[in-house]
Amino acid sequence: MANVRFDNITFRYGTNTVLENFSLEVESGKIVCLVGPSGCGKTTLVRALLGLIKPETGSITVGDRVLFDAKKRINVPAEKRNIGIVFQDYAVWPHMTVLENVCYPLKKQRRPKEEIRERAMRALEQVHMTEYARHLPNQLSGGQQQRVAIARALVIDSDLLVMDEPITNLDAKLREEMLLEIRMIQKRLNATILYITHDQQSALQLCDKMAIMQQDGTLCQYGTDEEIILHPANRFTFEFIGVSNFIPLEKVGNTMCLNVGEKIPFPDAVPEEAANGGYEIGVRPNDIVFDPESPLQARVDSRVFLGSEYNYFLSLGSRQIRVQQSMLDARTRGTADEGETVGIRFLNSRCYPAKKEGASA
Amino acid sequence: MKRLGGVSAELAAVDGRKRLNMDKVMTVVCFVLLLIIVVIPIVMIIFNAFFNEGKLETQMFVEQVTDGKNLEAMWNTLKIALFATIFGTIMGVFYAWLLGRSDIPAKGLMRALFNIPYMFPPFLGAMAWDMMFNGRSGYINKMLRDLFGLTQMPININSVWGIVFVEVSYYFPFVFMQVVSALERMDPTLEESARIAGAKQRQVIWKITLPLVKPAISAGALLILTTSLAHFGVPSILGYAKGIYTLPTRIYAVIYNSGGSFDGIRQGAALSVMLVVVVALALVLQNKILSAGNYDIIKGKSMRPTLIKLRGAKIPLFLLAILTLVLIVIVPLVMIVLVSFLKAYGLPIEFKNFTFAQYEKVFTANGTIAAIRNSLFVSITAGIVCMFLGTLVAYVVQKIRPKGKGALEVISMLPYAIPGTVLSIGVILAWSGRIVGINLYNTIWIILVAYMARYLSFSMKTSSAALLQVHSSLEEAARVCGASHTESLKDITLPLIRPAMVSGFFLIFLPAMREVTTSILLYGPYTRTLGVQIYSLRDAGMIPQAAALATVAIGIIIILNTIVTKITKDRKGV
Repeated sequence: MANVRFDNITFRYGTNTVLENFSLEVESGKIVCLVGPSGCGKTTLVRALLGLIKPETGSITVGDRVLFDAKKRINVPAEKRNIGIVFQDYAVWPHMTVLENVCYPLKKQRRPKEEIRERAMRALEQVHMTEYARHLPNQLSGGQQQRVAIARALVIDSDLLVMDEPITNLDAKLREEMLLEIRMIQKRLNATILYITHDQQSALQLCDKMAIMQQDGTLCQYGTDEEIILHPANRFTFEFIGVSNFIPLEKVGNTMCLNVGEKIPFPDAVPEEAANGGYEIGVRPNDIVFDPESPLQARVDSRVFLGSEYNYFLSLGSRQIRVQQSMLDARTRGTADEGETVGIRFLNSRCYPAKKEGASA
Repeated sequence: MKRLGGVSAELAAVDGRKRLNMDKVMTVVCFVLLLIIVVIPIVMIIFNAFFNEGKLETQMFVEQVTDGKNLEAMWNTLKIALFATIFGTIMGVFYAWLLGRSDIPAKGLMRALFNIPYMFPPFLGAMAWDMMFNGRSGYINKMLRDLFGLTQMPININSVWGIVFVEVSYYFPFVFMQVVSALERMDPTLEESARIAGAKQRQVIWKITLPLVKPAISAGALLILTTSLAHFGVPSILGYAKGIYTLPTRIYAVIYNSGGSFDGIRQGAALSVMLVVVVALALVLQNKILSAGNYDIIKGKSMRPTLIKLRGAKIPLFLLAILTLVLIVIVPLVMIVLVSFLKAYGLPIEFKNFTFAQYEKVFTANGTIAAIRNSLFVSITAGIVCMFLGTLVAYVVQKIRPKGKGALEVISMLPYAIPGTVLSIGVILAWSGRIVGINLYNTIWIILVAYMARYLSFSMKTSSAALLQVHSSLEEAARVCGASHTESLKDITLPLIRPAMVSGFFLIFLPAMREVTTSILLYGPYTRTLGVQIYSLRDAGMIPQAAALATVAIGIIIILNTIVTKITKDRKGV
């Protein structure tokens, strides 16, 4: 059992509050991705979990072990927390060979020599790095150093692994491979993995559960990836995960209209409060389909083939909107050409209060 | 807020008890050691310049500062420093450009040779030039006089201009090395795009290249300026006999003439304050100039610059460079070696006058052997102590970052800007029984304390740079892997900065071996250093013997330097 509980964590750098009464529970045996824009406090949260910084309030528990509790004045030092960690910049020690790097945590646990060697080699096997055991880190590529860091985190057989942006420095293909490997490792060990990233694509690919953090350090939503994509809790989540189009709504007479220079009646249902004005319709590019019957008529400005989909820019009145058409849809309905006028329909559109001028997400 | 603050303060007691305490201990140790080594001597100088027997007494200070001889010395100091800086900078930039950017032949060899003056003790060079061009008895002077049938000596090196010449020949490498490396790191496309935009070669040099390396030039020029202002060796060897004083030599003379009495030392302290003010003004001036232009265009990685073809000027410029090298490196060396074989100074340099007697004396005389032993002892000890202390200060400043880390940094760099002569007066005032009865005067320890103060900043700088390279996540990774704070220091940080610590040691050890400025005021009957011994042999008129010892010293320096280069090379190979 290694569920992780953050309870009411507050942390400040001087007067700058990074986290305020932050709470999150990560379920045991799952890959949980903590996603949020750069600077939202993800790494601060991880450092608090590892014991590298000390929050002002709250408590942190892993399984039934209290690592930190401000009220009970418990603070287990970093070296006693027994958490596997893969740092953002690998933090592979450059003066030690690959094998020495991986052996180090066990050496600190004062294990017998044979056991250390055997377990280290097993960890290296899991990341396919056994033939590099005698290499120095500067003889390895970025991806290989990454694997060493992962092996070093695996070797202590902790049931909690923390990975802080572990693959951002890899190229696209390696990234894909590493994500698959992380998933396999998790299955094999049945460990809890807390995976920190600002890249929602890899988060979607990897996670069982996702926690979305907002710029101000608060938790927006916690749920499965489907829940987050299909039922985003607020505009931030909606905007942060994937690309989106926003079109202002305006009430003309009794009908709600899209304000695109001219006012076009919006055929779908909108929440009642939208009638008061100041609301926008949000829709993802891949949730827009071509439908000749639709009252929304737009002109095709450009079309780009992206390999697995077509990317269009359409003019709806004076507004430009982006549409993605999957290959399947292109096969069944056909593509639209530049200059052509097409009817479009919004699937799964969301209605959110408009952003105030100059306010940030 | 208040409540929260209280909670976190209480938590501090629970949190990793070891870490907090060790950091605190390290910080406190730093402050205490720097206080003893650096702050106390400096405070003692200022105190004694203005106070006598606990009472404020400015009369002595005013007398000293308005004394005609002292004012003349200050004027000389400024004149020499200014001209040495101007000529040294021009020469350094010219040769840096020639070796860095033109297609002149034999670059590698010439670069190595141009660095020699940097490791060569200038006061030995001054000795050699004095042998050749002394206004009364210089060998080459005599030769020229007889050759052309002159009634007077043609050249007099014992003048302000002679001092400037010798200082330039030893200090231009400061600018040369800075500018060569800046030129090497400069992005060549900056120059290429100027050419493409239609600029002529000459315009590119003046409008693009030189402005871009301006920070490197002014950094080197500042080094010449402050070094020259504080310099003792050359002006004392060339100027002393003719009554030409600079502030550092004047301080020495005042103390020497007073026979080391307390009044003499107090007068020296007053002059020291004067000298420090001059150096400080130079630093402020430099800071103004430097901040006027800061470019980030020079990149850290090395690139292959486009070389400028010298065409017809290639051979003449090559010959000029060779001639310069011969003149400033080889001629003085040969002169010293030749004189070291003479039976007596003044005899013509002919084979029948040669003897090995001087070397025999060098290796049998007790004083000389003791001097070599003393120098080795203080240099190695100062090197080792400063290597650890400098690393400790660097660690506290870079990683622990306590309150007052700025003060810590300034204090440890302070001796770097303070002339060696001044520092030794501070050390005398502090450690000759006036503070809690500690009297180190006339012992080797007082020289050691002065060396530590003087060279601490060297090792602190190299360790600091190395620590900046060690990302904090490396230490954190060790902590999370189960290492305590001490263990993570021992297993991760120290091994990673070990190379920098070793080179910090040699950065201290090599100059300390040939040091004369500080030790000349501190030595006692049994604690002469190598530099002091050469200086006093010459002073006593035993010039051939001084030359023999100088030759031995140069030999030691060359051997040590080769070893250092070997060690550094091997490390890069791994």
